[in-house]
Amino acid sequence: MRFRRPVDLRGLADEELMELVDGGEMRAFEVVFDRHASAAYSLAFRMCGRRALAEDIVQEAFLSLWRSGAGYDRTRGSVRSWVLSAVHNRAIDQLRRAGAKAGRDVHDDGIAERLPARESTDAEVERRDEADRVRGALGELPPDQRRVIELAYFGGLTHSQIAEALDLPPGTVKGRMRLGLTKLRSSLGEAERVAL
Amino acid sequence: MSAANGHHSGDDVAAYALGALEPDEAEAFRQHLADCPECREELAGFEQVTEALPAGAVYAVPKGLKRRVMQDVRANPKQSTARPPELAGPLLRGPLLVWSGALAAVLVAVVVAVALTSGGSSATKVIQASAGNAELRVSEGRGDLVVHRLPQLRPGRIYEMWVQSGSAAPVPTGTLFGVNSSGAASVGVPGSLNGVSAVMVTNEPAGGSPAPTTTPLIVARL
Repeated sequence: MRFRRPVDLRGLADEELMELVDGGEMRAFEVVFDRHASAAYSLAFRMCGRRALAEDIVQEAFLSLWRSGAGYDRTRGSVRSWVLSAVHNRAIDQLRRAGAKAGRDVHDDGIAERLPARESTDAEVERRDEADRVRGALGELPPDQRRVIELAYFGGLTHSQIAEALDLPPGTVKGRMRLGLTKLRSSLGEAERVAL
Repeated sequence: MSAANGHHSGDDVAAYALGALEPDEAEAFRQHLADCPECREELAGFEQVTEALPAGAVYAVPKGLKRRVMQDVRANPKQSTARPPELAGPLLRGPLLVWSGALAAVLVAVVVAVALTSGGSSATKVIQASAGNAELRVSEGRGDLVVHRLPQLRPGRIYEMWVQSGSAAPVPTGTLFGVNSSGAASVGVPGSLNGVSAVMVTNEPAGGSPAPTTTPLIVARL
């Protein structure tokens, strides 16, 4: 006689959870949500700056993931990458539809919805460390490079829109993007090696 | 944006990784990527950075968001057939369109025309092909198809536009296109729309096909 022990869903990898999700297992999906909701919401809020809109974007992204189940495109990366990409694309759509203002402040200083300090699970600590690494790397960039990267990635602006907003030649904007990303790639890679 | 020999500069690679190229530039760059291992390698490095960027902002998930998402989940029980995630909207659960037995086995995500409203000038009609996925803008007998959130194409694939008259087989328009990093594109429908009953889009091998080889992702009915 074989006894089936209850599966601890939280011990399963994302890919295993998504197999269960494909079979309609809502508890598995709940675990996926718990795992990635903070990153998804943080990105959405960082991009739109409005809580209600950020919530809508995250809700749509997760519902889309639920519907796709194991059909999400694994070749394009992890579940986390998929969710973040879905959020990013939706937020860009919103920003461009709304005619994003290039001059809006994309820095997150003063935003009062940071993760409360009382949340101190291992996962949260890890997330904070990762956030510190990324913010540190961004902070080390020359301001002109950081600005164009933030306006593009978090602000959803094209290089032409950024060039117009900052009164720069388009080539200069793209050049700064490349320099900034190259430095970030180097410093984040270095930070990861140190963390290991 | 390109050098004379057609090779894109690294500046374009960076802008593409950030989703900052204009739609037509992004499309040209995507096509270039299929044949340029150098750019693909540089892009992979930049994408590692852009995937890390969201981690720099950490905000608390609002109370109630999980409840809303799980309510959605309960209200949308699973269907057995997996579909492209970006096209899985509520309106896509309409009748499935299958042209032939050969197409029946293909994963299906068919969009149905759901609304006909006026928009823009009085001479322009906007036909919503699905929930935010496509609009066919018709003006003075000519059409422009504007798509949103279509899945990114794999190397060697392209979106192809077709027109259909009545129940006749779809005819290729010769229009092949890709989408930008957010899955958007805007393409004109060649020729007049007189007598056309539907404009469709399928995913085809690069270079296009003389007849659809996959079930349409978009069907905008006139």
